[in-house]
This record gives sequence, structure tokens and C-alpha cells, in this order.
Amino acid sequence: MNDDSTYARDADSPEVSGGDGVDRRGFLQCMAWAGTGLVWTVTGGVLSSRALSPASAAEPARDFSFVQISDTHIGFKGEANKDALGTFEQAIARIKALDPAPSFIIHTGDITHAQKPGAFDTVTEALKGTKAERVFYIPGENDVFADGGTEYLGRFGGPKGTGWQSFDYKGVHFVGLINVLNFKAGGLGSLGQAQLDWLKKDVEGLASSTPLVVFAHVPLWAVYPKWGWVTDDGEQALGYLKRFGSVTVLNGHIHQIMQKVEGNISFYTALSTAFPQPAPGVGEGPGPVKVPAEQLRSVLGLRDVNYVQGKSRLAIVDSTLA
Amino acid sequence: MHGNHRLIRVRWLWRLAVLGTATFGALAVPTWAPAGQSGPGTASGMAQPVAVAAQTGPRIEITKHKFSRPTLTVPAGTTVTWLNRDEDVHTVVSTTQAFRSAGLETDEAYSYTFTKPGVYEYFCTLHPLMTGKVIVK
Repeated sequence: MNDDSTYARDADSPEVSGGDGVDRRGFLQCMAWAGTGLVWTVTGGVLSSRALSPASAAEPARDFSFVQISDTHIGFKGEANKDALGTFEQAIARIKALDPAPSFIIHTGDITHAQKPGAFDTVTEALKGTKAERVFYIPGENDVFADGGTEYLGRFGGPKGTGWQSFDYKGVHFVGLINVLNFKAGGLGSLGQAQLDWLKKDVEGLASSTPLVVFAHVPLWAVYPKWGWVTDDGEQALGYLKRFGSVTVLNGHIHQIMQKVEGNISFYTALSTAFPQPAPGVGEGPGPVKVPAEQLRSVLGLRDVNYVQGKSRLAIVDSTLA
Repeated sequence: MHGNHRLIRVRWLWRLAVLGTATFGALAVPTWAPAGQSGPGTASGMAQPVAVAAQTGPRIEITKHKFSRPTLTVPAGTTVTWLNRDEDVHTVVSTTQAFRSAGLETDEAYSYTFTKPGVYEYFCTLHPLMTGKVIVK
């Protein structure tokens, strides 16, 4: 499960993806050409502006697309990015320029940095200004720590106030999960029994051929448990999804692109629009990393996800702000 | 609401400190007044020269998601100050809710006066692997 060689990470890190001599870019190319139907384009530092520019005629047809934006950390003022609002606004401009417009946007949490007044509004207002029909939110720990989620759930919790959610769009079933509430001392991100029960019920009536997209803040798989980059009952949730032919799991939290494929389940973590974090286990601990100013935008970004009916996997296009 | 009275912007405090004792004292009283925390064992209502005590009392720094002194033993009446040196937000929250800081951003600090002997375990509610304890004798 936690085999480093199966990971692909973002650019601009000196680390290679494993001890097999295959570097990150080589690995991604392998993935792209492995005949799995997966189209994976990481633009980190290389093809950056191309991915989210208006679609060209050469691009394959798609049934719809959506955007994943993550870890906007509105209110962050650290050395790692003195203008986190500016880079957020740049990401919004990129979304607005997408043609065709995404059907909807998913924000995978850490909407705010410290849950300060106005921070949620900054994000909701900016995302309303895009052409997306809807925006779906899921919280990060920075969105709920101050009040146990009262404000977040009041805004985004839905009719039942739980915050977890599912919806169907053009034959794809989407599930948003919360794994940042009720942290216990010494513990990890968790979904909790009530949510697991809900998830089990939510998917049990679906045909196994239904494509699933699951999104949550903290990775549902064990990226790096020592830094809390794992959901302690994530395996149980994934157990309910194993029978499906196509499952895409989208997470945030770690501010870097990683990918893992396990059976029919593809895992992806996303870039932040605010600041990068170290590769797992590199350095003394997690947290904002300061990179040279001219490199900052190449380690921030967002993700465009395209769905084409009949393809077993969704096409994931990560784009940096460079 | 979240114990903001105990949230100190350290850079600001240092700037104040060089202004002189009189100015510092006058400004420091409302800033450092104990938050109205409830429950037994809290510092609520205690008249305490927190500013002075906090500067002379033990300090625990938070760096790279670690408490610099994960176990600290102090006599009753000691004020302990936690100072966040990370760019991440952290909190200092007792596992029994005996004390609870607001979110501490970079260079922000939180102080708590331990009046009763006991073992006080605490953690960061954003990063729960960050744990520590204060043993009060």
C-alpha cells in the first residue's frame, strides 16, 4: 500500500519517485503511455500554461469537465507566499478562462488559513464569479479547528448539516467526505462511523459500472502517516468502493501532486494555490516551504478533470500558475 | 470567544517592551487579562501579572510541528507560554478542555497559568499528532 515507487510527485523536488531509478517525469510518461486510458499531464515547470488555455481542436471529445481547487488558505501571510490572495485570484482567472467552462468546481478544503472573518466569503464570492454551474466544498482542518466546524457546517453543511454529500452528474456518482472533524490527541484524520455508514448506504444501490469520484481533504490512502497524511479509517471507506470499475479519489492537504493506482482506484492529491509543502518525509516536518520567488508559481496550481463516457479513467490535467 | 485575550503577537509585545515599563504595564494589563474560561482548575478570575510571568516562565516553542518541550514539569502557579514559530496555524488544547488556545499564527503565543497539581495533556487540534504534557507539582 505504502510503496513509494508507485507514487508520482510534483516537479521541482530533488526527490525521485522511488529507488528504481525512474524519475518523476519518466514515471509520468510511463503512466501516460501505459495504455490504461489514463491521460496524465503534469505541467509543473514544463508545459504549465498550456493545460488550462482554451481547448484546441486536437483535444479529445469530453462529456464534461470539472475543476478541483484546493488549499487556498485565504489569510495566509507567511514567508512561503506573501501574496496568497494574489495567487488565489490568478487561479480564479485561469478557471474563468477555461473553454468550455467546467460544469462545476470542487474545493477540497483548507479554504481558509485560520478561519478569520471574511475568509470563507472571499472564496465563495470569487468562485461564484466563474461560469461553473455549482461549487462543492469539503473542509480542511484549517476550516473547522476554531469552532469544531460550526461556521463551516452552517455555510456548507447542507440540509442535514453533516457536510458530507453525494450527487450524480451525467452518469458519474460524486461523493464528498469529511475527514478533519473530531481530531483526537495523537490521532489522525478520520471519517467516523456515522459517515462510513452513510457512505456504505450511499453507494450500495449503484451498479458496479457507475464511475465514482470521491473527494476529501486529507488523503484517503497512506501517503505519509508520520506526518498525519492519512485517514485512519480510509481503508474501510475504500472497501465499499472496491467493486466499482472506475473510482477516482481526489484529495488536497499535502500541497503537491501525488498519484497512486490500486486496482480500479486511482488516487490523486492536488496542488495548493497558496504555498507548497515538502515531499513526504523530506526535512523535519510538514508545513509551508519557501521557494525562490521566481519558482513559486510553478509549485502552485489547480486541476482540470475531464470525463469521457466509456473511458475507464478520468483524464486529469494538473496545471501550475507559472 | 476563543480566548483571544491570551493571544499575544510576540513581535508587537517586544516592540512594546522597549518603550519602557510604565507604558508596557499600562497597555499590558488589558491585553493579558485572563480569558473568562470556565471549569475547575482554570486561571479564571486570578489576578496575575501575566506579562511578567509569561516572560520569565517556561516557554515552549512550536517548530516544524513539534513542541520543543513535549514534557515539562513545573511547580503550581507557573505560567507556561507556547510560541508558534511555524507558518502553519497551531493550537494548544487540553485533552480535558482545561485550557484551549485560539489558532496561533506565526509568532503568536498563548499563555496559561497552572494553579493545581496534576498532569495536563494537550495537543494541536489541527495536527493531532502534535502532543505534549505539562506536569504540575
